[in-house]
Amino acid sequence: MTSEPSDPSLFEALEPGQLTLYSERPLPRRRLGRGMLALLVLLRVYVLIAIPIVAYAFVRALLAH
Amino acid sequence: MSQDVSDLGVFLGPAAAAAAAAELVTREDVLRARDRQRVLRSRAGRHRLRLLWLLLGPGVLVMLGENDGPSMVSYATTGATYGIGFFVPFILLTFLMAYLVQEMTVRLGAATHRGHAELIFQRFGPFWGYFAMGDLVIGNLLTLMTEFIAIQVGGLYFGVPQPVSVGGGVLLVSLSLALRRYATWERTAMALAAFNLLFVPAALFAHPDAARLVHALAFWKPLPGGVNPAFVTMILADIGATVTPWMIFFQQSAVVDKGLTREDVREGRLDTALGAMLAALAAIATVVAAAPLFGAHVDVSEFASGADFASALRPFLGRFGATLFALGIMEAGLVAAMTISTSSSYALAEAIAERHSMNLDLAHGRWFYASAIGSALIAGAVVLTPGAPLLAMTLTVNVLATLLMPPALLFLLLLVNDREIMGDLANRRAANLAGGTIVVAISLIGALYGVITIFPGLLPG
Repeated sequence: MTSEPSDPSLFEALEPGQLTLYSERPLPRRRLGRGMLALLVLLRVYVLIAIPIVAYAFVRALLAH
Repeated sequence: MSQDVSDLGVFLGPAAAAAAAAELVTREDVLRARDRQRVLRSRAGRHRLRLLWLLLGPGVLVMLGENDGPSMVSYATTGATYGIGFFVPFILLTFLMAYLVQEMTVRLGAATHRGHAELIFQRFGPFWGYFAMGDLVIGNLLTLMTEFIAIQVGGLYFGVPQPVSVGGGVLLVSLSLALRRYATWERTAMALAAFNLLFVPAALFAHPDAARLVHALAFWKPLPGGVNPAFVTMILADIGATVTPWMIFFQQSAVVDKGLTREDVREGRLDTALGAMLAALAAIATVVAAAPLFGAHVDVSEFASGADFASALRPFLGRFGATLFALGIMEAGLVAAMTISTSSSYALAEAIAERHSMNLDLAHGRWFYASAIGSALIAGAVVLTPGAPLLAMTLTVNVLATLLMPPALLFLLLLVNDREIMGDLANRRAANLAGGTIVVAISLIGALYGVITIFPGLLPG
């Protein structure tokens, strides 16, 4: 994977999890409880409401100048 | 999970694992291993200062990076509108909040060796991953535009034509990545970020009254005008000037790219605390430097930029003080352009499961490098577009960043409480209490902003 010469002992400085070989392996999915899912949905709704409000304030500021 | 990532060494033994790894290593592995060797030697030799120096970087950069163009304009507006009073201790509080949030990213990166975006995608799936990415991309692109606005207006103060300053900014972002070496990029950005402290001598030219500063810090007063819509917007903008989603993504990925491990968490915390202290110092200095405008009743509502502040401050700070102020605004934009474009790069490459490191060569890191350079080019082009609403954008960006923060913080809290990946570095009760309080506080202030935007007559004045 690399053309650079490397001393194998050099890699003792790294934890195995730091190697590209390892970090490319995906971690398993985690199951979220209903309460946490509800909170994530709630905050998503919060953002979906907030963005148009910011856009409205942006347009108002634009028209004011 | 924390056992899983170390099983190569468990099954093969350290030497055999190292030899096996050598067969399949990449350029970034080699470069990171060299950096780690220096750290391990310093730790073994108990060279504490050298060890700290080697491990400094992500925390200092993320904090000084967030003292960006719109943030410094927010702090200057704060000083010019409210003088030295309530907002001085409030800014200190926001940096404490920033430390609490960013410290979690140090532990996450050191424990998992994975970036924030890839953890969200892998642990919670693409549905939530794309939402988190959407927030980040919108916030980062808009913020990046305001960084180029800062670079542009800083340049204008010195008579530099807009295409030259903006083009120079895009070129600097691109050249810093062309180094293809995390350590070099980090030290270059840190050297530039040191100029954020130019606001400190600029503040001294304002001859601040030490007794008033101490009184403000002790009593959170005065607060001229009381609680009104402008005050709520200022609160939101100052929070947005210290805690934003890009910081979470950037610091965690930088910690991973730098190669911090569980052993280095203490130094990672010191790095973050030092960054928060330096950034708070520069932020408060900006409020103090702009405070003479409050005393002279100068209306800053029509100011478009930091350069306007620098020009308006010239009678109070003198030519040299105003020049320092304008240079500081330019630096704020430049360093943030580097860190924010890199934050986008890490997150986008992690989201599409591409390689993501500043130690990558150009062939393997084409998506990584293309994201940063592409986002800088888009932001630069928008800023140079004739008639672009630059003033309205600058005022809106920090508010938007704050409103995007609660979901980003919830993902952070979920991940940092995930004992499968965090092991003994998972959050304790106090950190969860602090994190939860920050989510609730930012959500409530954001909701208040929404209400007073739609119903402006609700609060006086």
